[in-house]
Amino acid sequence: MKLELQKLNVKSLKFGDKTGFSDGVLAINKAELIALISEDPMLGKNIDADIAMPGESVRIMPVKDVIEPRWKIEGKGQVFPGMLSDVETVGEGKTLVLSGCAVLTAGKLVRFQEGIIDMSGPGADYTPYSKTCNVVLILEPSDPNMDKHDYETACRMAGLKAAAYLAKSCSGLQADSTEVYEMPKIRDAMNSYPELPKVGYIYMLQTQGLLHDTYLYGVDVKRILPTLISPLEVMDGAIVSGNCVSACDKNSTYSHLNNPVISDMLKRHGKDFNFVACIVTNENVTLADKRRSSSYATKLAAMLGLDGVVITEEGFGNPDADLIMNCRKSEQLGIKTALLTDEYAGQDGASQSLADSCPEGDACVTAGNANEVIKLPAMKKVIGYQEEANVIAGGWQGSLSDDGSITVELQAITGATSELGYTKLGAYTL
Amino acid sequence: MCTIVPISQTVGANRIVPTIAIPHPLGNPSKTPEEEKILRRSLVERALKALQTEITEQTVFTE
Repeated sequence: MKLELQKLNVKSLKFGDKTGFSDGVLAINKAELIALISEDPMLGKNIDADIAMPGESVRIMPVKDVIEPRWKIEGKGQVFPGMLSDVETVGEGKTLVLSGCAVLTAGKLVRFQEGIIDMSGPGADYTPYSKTCNVVLILEPSDPNMDKHDYETACRMAGLKAAAYLAKSCSGLQADSTEVYEMPKIRDAMNSYPELPKVGYIYMLQTQGLLHDTYLYGVDVKRILPTLISPLEVMDGAIVSGNCVSACDKNSTYSHLNNPVISDMLKRHGKDFNFVACIVTNENVTLADKRRSSSYATKLAAMLGLDGVVITEEGFGNPDADLIMNCRKSEQLGIKTALLTDEYAGQDGASQSLADSCPEGDACVTAGNANEVIKLPAMKKVIGYQEEANVIAGGWQGSLSDDGSITVELQAITGATSELGYTKLGAYTL
Repeated sequence: MCTIVPISQTVGANRIVPTIAIPHPLGNPSKTPEEEKILRRSLVERALKALQTEITEQTVFTE
């Protein structure tokens, strides 16, 4: 399987007569974009679009999801299969990427677990989406009493539609850069690099229901048994976030598309290890489901004869139990593990970081303490509804001060403690 | 009473009664109200029995 990502490097955004790309500038026909989104009767009449650039004194909130514009220009299927397009298998051919650009779904809150993106100031360091040229959709439901699941679906589809539309409008141009990713067949991988350890990736997806959902080819992942997926399918949008879970550590659709665990493992394939397989699994709400999925995911890893796995979690709390089950069961099957998670160690950092743990989990990478408190100074412009700082996860009544500053836990900042490691901040032990 | 027994074990609970699911520990929306009442009563009775049982180590009450 081979996928070529043809990247146009977006350095600036502007509204214009025709949606298209030239000399690093993505022009957007705002009326056309809004007309496309407005086709959905679930969305209200007052929807709008705005743009936000890195370094500007702009706050965007509440943000539900972030999506990178992509469009397949060669090969089977289309981006976001089973969601925006047909269910045909993706991951082969050529895909156009508007690199450096992101679509943000914002506006009326779906649920309290949505995030803040500051384009400058101290908050900007904590979100990777302060570094992208952002096309912000400001959405509202057509009926204020609409079922939250229906509104979530409408927001999710609006983001995907806008992202696909923007990239499609730029097809036919010479790419600024090209990245080629290849994933060998398992048969070939097994016969390659006998001197290197065989490693896999157990990719945990948040699937607790009640608006904590992720989709695989349009299938609600809480209904799957763990299964194999090519990492290249992920780059074409086979995994879509439908999550309203704490903003800091929900995996945005953007971070799935750009999953750094996948790209780094592909880069190190054949050098440090033999990257054989990626296994997707879920995080459900009954003990039987957790036990079944962890047994099944680790069984797949054992069937493939893996020597080691990287396991990433999504969310926190009870998913820590899934993480630990995946870790312990892998180790019991003789498969070494490295875990990627974040922590909820209290505002002073003194509490137990994860809800569960095990002695086998002795190789663990943390993306930070989500309870750490940060003060975000006022921004000159707010896109969305700043007062939601008082109700979103990580905030409290009084988080928004009269002067427009916001005091919240990092939990409230979109992508601040990404458990895929899609962050701009890091730490080294000296 | 809790759904995710391993977490209760990790945090050191003495008597653990497993429940249905995280969003609805003592109920099950897929059942009829009559069936749910029977389910709830059985769980409460199990918890009361657990409280009356002498234990010497961390114990999960599955019946």
